[in-house]
Amino acid sequence: MKAAPARKNPERVPWIDWMVLPTVGVLAVVIGYPVIYTLVLSTTKYNMLDMVPPRYIGGGNYEHLISDPIFWTSLRNTVVYTFGSVIVSSLLGLALALLTESLTGWRFRSVRALLLTPWAVPFVVVAFLFRYMYLQNGGVINAVLLDVGLIDKPVLWLNDSALALPAIMAANIWAMMPFFFLLLSAALAAIPNEVIESARIDKAGTWSMVFHIKLPFLKSALFISSLLMIISNFNDFAKIWAMTQGGPGYSTTTLVIYVYRLAFENFDFGYASAIGVVWLVLLLVFALVYLRAIRMNP
Amino acid sequence: MTWRSAVVASTILSVGLAATASHAADKVTLTFANWADAEGATRPGIQAVIAAFEKENPDIKIKSEAISFSEIARQLVLRVRSGNPPDVAEIAGNDTMLLAQTGKLEPLDGHIDAATKAALKPSSIEGLSDKGKLIAFPWTQAPAGLWYDKAVMQKAGLDPENPPKTIDELMKDLAAIKKSQPDVIPLGLDTTNRAFSLISNWPWMKAFGADPFAENGATSDAMKSYLSWMRDLAKKGYIDPGRKIGEFRPLIAQDKVAFLWDQVLLQGVIQSTNKMTDDDFNKHYGVTTQPVGASGKSYSFEGGHQLVMFSDSKQQEAAWKFIKYLATSPYAIEHYTLSYEASLTPLEKAPTDALAKKLDTPVFNAFSEKIMPTVTAVPYGPKFAPGATAIMAGVQQAVTGDTPIDQIAASIQQNLGN
Repeated sequence: MKAAPARKNPERVPWIDWMVLPTVGVLAVVIGYPVIYTLVLSTTKYNMLDMVPPRYIGGGNYEHLISDPIFWTSLRNTVVYTFGSVIVSSLLGLALALLTESLTGWRFRSVRALLLTPWAVPFVVVAFLFRYMYLQNGGVINAVLLDVGLIDKPVLWLNDSALALPAIMAANIWAMMPFFFLLLSAALAAIPNEVIESARIDKAGTWSMVFHIKLPFLKSALFISSLLMIISNFNDFAKIWAMTQGGPGYSTTTLVIYVYRLAFENFDFGYASAIGVVWLVLLLVFALVYLRAIRMNP
Repeated sequence: MTWRSAVVASTILSVGLAATASHAADKVTLTFANWADAEGATRPGIQAVIAAFEKENPDIKIKSEAISFSEIARQLVLRVRSGNPPDVAEIAGNDTMLLAQTGKLEPLDGHIDAATKAALKPSSIEGLSDKGKLIAFPWTQAPAGLWYDKAVMQKAGLDPENPPKTIDELMKDLAAIKKSQPDVIPLGLDTTNRAFSLISNWPWMKAFGADPFAENGATSDAMKSYLSWMRDLAKKGYIDPGRKIGEFRPLIAQDKVAFLWDQVLLQGVIQSTNKMTDDDFNKHYGVTTQPVGASGKSYSFEGGHQLVMFSDSKQQEAAWKFIKYLATSPYAIEHYTLSYEASLTPLEKAPTDALAKKLDTPVFNAFSEKIMPTVTAVPYGPKFAPGATAIMAGVQQAVTGDTPIDQIAASIQQNLGN
């Protein structure tokens, strides 16, 4: 079928342009105002408890940020948590999608339902579930590992500075993996049969089929879903707060946890806003990449 | 209906409506922000007390606003900033001083009468003043003591009537418990990273003579000794890091914790968990002062709740009446402070003989006579919350990692910035 030709020199109707004003107005209030106010606050010394108006200090908060070791630790933890979780869960989701691809009928439906269960569990419930599973005394993970003789004393999963972040990431991966599984299963199903058939006729092996036929087809789905999850994980508060509150020490403190403590425990809105601006810029970069990817792979 | 009867009926109706409207106009509505109404365990108690107050004061209606304990300070600060505070609020710990910093708490000196002030324990209002003015009224008193499970001690071959008096004795008892009952947590200490944990750990720091808020206090030898002791406790498996204090309570009720550093309210939690009678409870559990450390003294903290009035309140007279009723009326003390909070009253003497009898229990007596005198002031104020995060992060590093103690102390010092 021939596609309809694009309109050349469409007749401009100026009043239609004005129709977007209500939307622009709503966006300006809901998104524009908070963003601009955050930018303004980030240049002020403003503690909510002082009952005095914000005082302009220019780049003072940003200078403080550069020399603040907790900020850099939080940024590093955010990057490790976000990329670590997304990379592992996308690979697991991909592997499961490929493994269950040949299943059909009730078997596929049952396996898919089972694999999607974690996605249906609210994040806070996931956090508490894993928190209790990780307990030093009475946690099921330690109990099982002790029983099978893999460890000789309980492991402090959430209370060891080196293990806490990977332990939270494991919970996050468990919860996020079905998202990738679902998307990639759908993308696999969309690969034209003719392509698969012709590859088989050419006697392509399993690995060759995966690497040379299926993965190229899954590339854009994988890329876009990963970008979405990177943005989502960058803002992940509930799981970390419920499991460790950013501890032990600062070993699981991410930017969102640090900003929360600064703004809502110390009421230091000026400095919290400065970190918020850096965080916003980082997210904007990902959002722009995402939008570009969408445009290139409609 | 004749026109005459219609006129009479409408006159009666008008007079009735006017009377109702006038009555409604006279009735004062107080907003009361509190977490007692937000928690299932205390909700029936506070609702009963509010109902009793409204019955005694038909011209005052209480609108209770249930806000969780962890949220109340944030919400109150935001409401103060937006000019919409409640009339009265329940508050505790450092949050009281945070709110005082806004300058929007009504000084109570002008409301409290001499008789009420004289009836209070002098210690109950210590630390509740800001710039020389009383800004909060003590509602309940809940100091912390060292609770011990006599059954666990007995199984470990320890004398259940002779709890440890020094930190050295405590360490020996913990070793005996760990050896005899590996599945029991020898000592329950809250090491989470939140302001309450620092309040709870403050007496232990003091036991070593440490004061991290003092100039170079975090890098002092005393603070390093405290951090080393905490590491020792963790390395030997005597504490279970990461648990909040509330998570130890059901465990001690099941003989899974030997010693627990907790407030007076623990008895109520244990009995509601294991349904023990008072007699059985007193045979099974005891409470004593903190074991003496290098400083040579025992310490405790006062974790009770206070009531504050906001200066924007238009009904200050009614608000004060309500505050006084909650904290000092025999009904509220019996049906809330003792029954639901299982805490001490701020009054020096019980207002009735019946209450005096109820307060005459081994636990209340231990807290009133032995533990209350060991209460030490916690340095609440604007630096406390950020300081708590820095200090407890350091404590967690000491407890859960291998970073040298000197390095941890220096890191706390740097983050405290003093």
